[in-house]
Amino acid sequence: MRLSDYDPDCLKCEEVMQPYLDRVLDDAQVREAEAHLDACDYCRQRYRFEVSLRRYVRTVAAEKQMPVELKAKLAALRTPLQ
Amino acid sequence: MSEPTQAEARRIAEEARDRVRFEEEALDLSDQVFRVARHLVGSREEAEDLMQETYARAFRSWRSYTPGTNLRAWLLRILTNLNIDRGRRQQRTPQMTSIDEHGDYYLYDKLVEGEGETPNEERVIAKLSQGSIVDALAHVPHDFRDVLVLVDIGEFSYAEAAQILDIPIGTVMSRLHRARRILKGELAEEVAS
Repeated sequence: MRLSDYDPDCLKCEEVMQPYLDRVLDDAQVREAEAHLDACDYCRQRYRFEVSLRRYVRTVAAEKQMPVELKAKLAALRTPLQ
Repeated sequence: MSEPTQAEARRIAEEARDRVRFEEEALDLSDQVFRVARHLVGSREEAEDLMQETYARAFRSWRSYTPGTNLRAWLLRILTNLNIDRGRRQQRTPQMTSIDEHGDYYLYDKLVEGEGETPNEERVIAKLSQGSIVDALAHVPHDFRDVLVLVDIGEFSYAEAAQILDIPIGTVMSRLHRARRILKGELAEEVAS
């Protein structure tokens, strides 16, 4: 599919999908986005994909555990007790 | 030197107690701060250096923290400022490419190829390796990556990210949108190759 193949409503949905996912739309915009998601299989699948992608990025990031030695080094930076 | 008065002694003891509490709370948050730091810079070594500089500065200037406000955001503000001060490599704003322009669609369409009418999004996502996500994140230019990492990995709100980076909230939104597109464009290129 090319961008020009999409329904104009899908393009509108594209515009609001990120803020919708971030939950920063006002009530009217949320209703509009949800009405489109209810009616459009493609956008609904993409919405699920976006949610999964974000979750995946977060999971991958969480794998980066802080080394134990670094934690000890940070603790050593504390002001010594008088 | 004269002995401190009772009131002065009490004040000193209270301050010491506040400082210890501050330091303990800051250390408790270090795992979460590291997770963000690790993706703001290119290597683990850089992230570790940045963490030590951040905590050294935080412990020195603990009095400027207002108790009851978001300590994690306060620490990240120090960290992102230090990261910028370290003279990180200036990157040009990338030119829009056709993948970038169509990135949101392109990645999804590429991944669902051959998946049939109702693709399973978990299986679609599994086509992306963990390494490809890390590489793609590292390719997002700094200004955009800062916002992406704070919001999508650090789970800060737009307003908090704006405060941490000292930029308007509108800039957070536009950079975030662009950053996610660039990320998906990078992933799409990898999938396509």
